[in-house]
Formats: sequence, structure tokens, C-alpha cells
Amino acid sequence: MFFRLLPWEYGIRNLFRRPLRSGLTLLALTTVTLMVLVVVGFVRGLERSLAVSGDPRTVIVFSLGMGENLEYSSIPMGTTDLLAASTQGIQERYGRKYASPELYLGTKVRLSQDSPESLGLVRGLLPAALLVHRQVEIISGQWPQAGEVLVGRLAATKLGIAKQQLAVGSTLWFEGRSWRVCGTFSAGSGTFESELWCRLDDLQQTLKRQDLSLVAMTLGPTADFQDLNLFCKERIDLELQAIRQTDYFATLRKDYAPVRWLAWLVVSLIAGAGVFVGLNTMYGSVVGRIRELATLQTIGFSRRAAILSVVQEGTILAMTGALIASVIAYGLANGAAVRFTMGAFELQIDSLTLLIGNGIALCLGAGGALPPAMKIFRLSVVDGLKAV
Amino acid sequence: MPVIEVRDVTKQFMKGSETITPLRDANLEIERGEFVSLMGASGTGKSTLLNLIASIDRPTSGTIVVNGTDITRLSRSKLANWRAANIGYVFQTHNLVPVLTAYENIELPLLLLPLNRAERRKRVEIALGAVDLLDRANHYPRQLSGGQEQRVGIARAIVADPTVVVADEPTGDLDETTSSQILDLLQRLNRELGTTFLMVTHDPDAAAIAGRRLRLEQGRLVEVADHVPVPAALEVR
Ligand SMILES: Nc1ncnc2c1ncn2[C@@H]1O[C@H](COP(=O)(O)OP(=O)(O)OP(=O)(O)O)[C@@H](O)[C@H]1O
Ligand SMILES: [Mg+2]
Repeated sequence: MFFRLLPWEYGIRNLFRRPLRSGLTLLALTTVTLMVLVVVGFVRGLERSLAVSGDPRTVIVFSLGMGENLEYSSIPMGTTDLLAASTQGIQERYGRKYASPELYLGTKVRLSQDSPESLGLVRGLLPAALLVHRQVEIISGQWPQAGEVLVGRLAATKLGIAKQQLAVGSTLWFEGRSWRVCGTFSAGSGTFESELWCRLDDLQQTLKRQDLSLVAMTLGPTADFQDLNLFCKERIDLELQAIRQTDYFATLRKDYAPVRWLAWLVVSLIAGAGVFVGLNTMYGSVVGRIRELATLQTIGFSRRAAILSVVQEGTILAMTGALIASVIAYGLANGAAVRFTMGAFELQIDSLTLLIGNGIALCLGAGGALPPAMKIFRLSVVDGLKAV
Repeated sequence: MPVIEVRDVTKQFMKGSETITPLRDANLEIERGEFVSLMGASGTGKSTLLNLIASIDRPTSGTIVVNGTDITRLSRSKLANWRAANIGYVFQTHNLVPVLTAYENIELPLLLLPLNRAERRKRVEIALGAVDLLDRANHYPRQLSGGQEQRVGIARAIVADPTVVVADEPTGDLDETTSSQILDLLQRLNRELGTTFLMVTHDPDAAAIAGRRLRLEQGRLVEVADHVPVPAALEVR
């Protein structure tokens, strides 16, 4: 049914009635929303990094029995040619097969021989890698020559060093020798971005290894993953397994599910604290105003209008906080790089994150104001007029 | 036809196991334009009766017809709307909204009526003029004296041109001089605007300004004679 609302200014001015209390509540709600935004941005960034890393047409072949652990996988160098020859319909262009032999390891990396070390992810590849990993783009410099590395956009974050320390021309030290940075690449926010790429032969020589960790291949439109899968299963002697890259990252995502649940738990705990802040303020606001709200009802405003005006106040407060938090989060936290075991990723303060954060803030404001507003519901107008 | 008809109204309150019956089969008729004062000892039910007529409370039994509407039959939400157009309430403590200016406080009841901004402005200015506070329109309640605040409260009660203005001890919180100013104002408004007034008071002088005086005794309303009672001994038989 139609009913007249109390004037909008009434709600706003009521917030200025106790400027200190409103100010502190605003600060608390801003902090809560900011924390929610950062946590949601963290989860979204992590998920995005794992989600964009997979290409449905790309297949990874590696040692049987290694789970998802590519570092411990070891397959003979000849596997690439064998697979390329025995798999039907591998993507091909100008006679070059889309097959990328790769040697991958996690190793201690330092800036110079005697600076502090941290764990880096190193991958040795052939230029064919750029065909298979289509999301990879060299943004500065060029493909590495001997003794050179191409660094991912987030490699510095993964190593815990400043971005400038990995600028083109600077040097790195790992596996007992120094490497010169020859360029930077991006990979559409995928996990590759935290890696250091060098030439396959270069890495093999340095490590004194002749094997590979994996072969990544792009299947053409006529190819069937099951053929390749079957080939790996039938040739028991090769001890190979094939997995779609998307499935590979899906299993990784599953491994990170507890992180996600933990993050949502943190969000709900923060939000819970936020509700109490809202509740406390709005209770104070309503209790000090019982007679006034009863007067407004005596004048002819409906009980619903009185309740709504209180909810409106809580909502204005929460949304102001959310707006400030959104600006801060977008301005300062968006794109901030975070390190984790798999590599590094960036906080994603995108429209969905903002939507979730602001939605939670709205619930905090309205939800925190509703129980106090219900006091008006329970108290009769006559009793309200007697209140001091 | 009377503008207010209270018929056989009983109001009971439950206080624990005890039942209090401040009104017991009370009857009252008030004509349009009358100024009625209501006196009675403390706790006899004066405020209770006022609240029933103002439709912010409901009788236990009986009917109350105001301006042709049986308000005991209206739903809560209909009553709110009805009050906006028909009842002006003057409180003992003005009950102004502290965050709104005098002008905005007076405008409140008009927001509930189908009036545009210009029409509201005109009416608020008339009401402000009637209580002689045009120069205080943009003051907040805390910037006004007690008497001025009560005048704003009165302006708010009359601004929508209601059927009846009820006032519960409107001078109860004011000093003697201010009280008499307020009483003069109420009397003038009654005469000039023809608004019906029902005023509860403890002050016999205040009651005296009313054209008709009532007392509440043992749950019923009794008329107070206008003239000085003639001693029984001199009465001619
Ligand atoms: N909500 C309530 N619950 C219980 N008893 C109530 C309630 N409201 C009023 N009463 C009782 O009803 C009686 C009448 O109260 P009311 O407020 O109408 O008195 P009054 O005549 O206005 O008194 P006063 O002159 O002191 O204002 C009193 O005995 C009071 O205790
Ligand atoms: Mg009373």
C-alpha cells in the first residue's frame, strides 16, 4: 500500500545529530567494507589466475604417477617428436607443430651471488612455446638468447623484490650462474606471469639434464583428446599421462578450495562484526528518539514510514562507508600483487568484487538498523509519547 | 451534528493482574467550533480520553465518531492517514523534531496531504503568521524559547486545518506569563479559524477560557456549570 515517507533530509540530519558516533560508525563500516573488498578481491584474483591459465585446446603430457606435480616429472627429450608423430590433428602452421617441450623447476633465485635468496619458478622452453601458450605476449625485450631470461610480469612479486630489479639488462643468479634479463612477458593474468623463462637447451646444460618435465600441445579442430589419452595409456613403456590444461588447473583450483572457504569465513566474520557496529549505533539512535518517532506517528506518518526512516539512516551510513571503501580499494588495492606458492597474482577489485562488497555493506546498514527499527514496531504510539 | 461523538466508551488497562478502568461508559458530544476544557484529578484518564479521540489509542468498548467517521473501525494504517487530515495534537512538551527548522516542523503534517510545494509554503506561512513567528521560520528548536517552541507546536497542530485540535496540558511546562500568552493564542485561533479545541488542563484559569468546561470523575464526564451556583436556601420553589 502507498504511504508517505519521512523527508529524506530528516534521515541525513539525524546522522549529524551525534557527529562523533556517526563518524566512528562510518569509519568502522568503511574499514569493514574495505576488508571485505580486499578479501573478495583476493579470492577473485586467485581464481582468475587459475581460471585464465587453462586453454581447453591445450594438453599437457608428463610422467605417470606425479599427480599435478610437474616439477618432479621427467620424460625423455624424444617424447615431443614421438607425440607429434603419433597424435592425429595436432595444430600445425607452416609445417610447425604446436608442441612445446618444457623443463620446469622451482629453484632458489637471488639477484647476485651473495644477496638473499627466494624461491623462483624457472621454465626452459623453445620459441614454439609462444604458439601453444597463446595468452603469452612479450611486452618488452625479446626471446632469450643463451644466458638470458624472459621474466613474467609478476615474477618480481613472486621473488619478493622490486619490479625495477628485474628490468631489462639486470642480472639474476640461479643454478650456479648468472642470467641477464632480456625482456618481460604477460600471460593474461595467468600463473605463467610469475615465472622466469629461458631457453630449453640453456637450462638443460646448466642443470646437466637431458630430459623434459612436460610437453604442452595444442590440439587442432580435428584432434580428439581421447586419442592422445589412449595412446599414453596403451604405451605403458613410456610411462606418460595426458591431461587437458583446463583440467589441470581445475584440480589446482580444487586444492585451493580451502583457501576460498577460509576467505569467505573471514568475510562473514568481518561482516558479523560490522553488523554489531551498525546495530549498536542504530539502537542508540532509536532509543534516544522513541518519543520523536511516536510524535511523527501522531502527526500521521505511518509506522512503516518511521521504521523505514531508521533503516534509511543505517543504509545511508553504510553506503557512504562503502563508497569511500570502494574508492580506496579501487585506487590503492586493485592490481596489488600477492605472492602465493603457485606464483603470484593480483587483487581483483572489479565490478563483481565491488558489487559483493557494496552488497554486504548494504546488508550491514539495513540489517543493523532493522532490529532497532523493530522497537518502534513493538511500542505503541501512546507508550512512545510517554518515553523520555 | 456534533463533530465529536464519544459513545459508551470504556477503556481498561491491564497492569499485571490488576485491571484499571479510567473510562467507564463515558459519553461526550462536542459541536464544531467549540472550545472545550477538560479537568480532573491526576490519573483519572484525561490523557487517555484525548488519545482515544486523537485515534492513537483504541477503546476497549464503545464507539468514537469524529467528523462522521467511526474511527474505532478504521485499520491502523488508515488511521494514520486520517489523523493527518483531521487531528492536530498539541503536546505538553512541544515534541518538535530537533533536526528540523520551525518551518520544516510545521510543514510535516502537510507532507501527508496532496499539496504541492507552493501550497504547503502558503499554509506554513499562514500558520507561522498566526502564531506570530514569521521571523523565526528558519530557526531550529534549540534556538527558540520554551514559549516559542510551544507556538511552533501549535502552528504544526493547526497548519493542516484539522477537524479538531487536542491539547494535553499545553501550558503545563510554561511560566505564568507565557502560559497566558499561549492561552490567548489558542482562544484567538478558535475564534478566528473556527477550529474545534479540546484541552486538558490542571489550571482552573486555563480552563476558564473555554466556552465549555468538563470534568472527568470516576470514568465519566461531567459538565461544570457556567454560572455561579445559587445557594440552595435561596432557591425559589
Ligand atoms: N499503558 C498503560 N498501562 C497501564 N495503565 C495505564 C496506561 N496508561 C494509563 N494508565 C493508567 O490509566 C489511568 C489514567 O491515566 P491518564 O494518563 O489518562 O491520566 P491523566 O488523567 O491524564 O493524569 P494526569 O493528570 O496525571 O496526566 C492512570 O491510573 C494510569 O496509571
Ligand atoms: Mg495526562
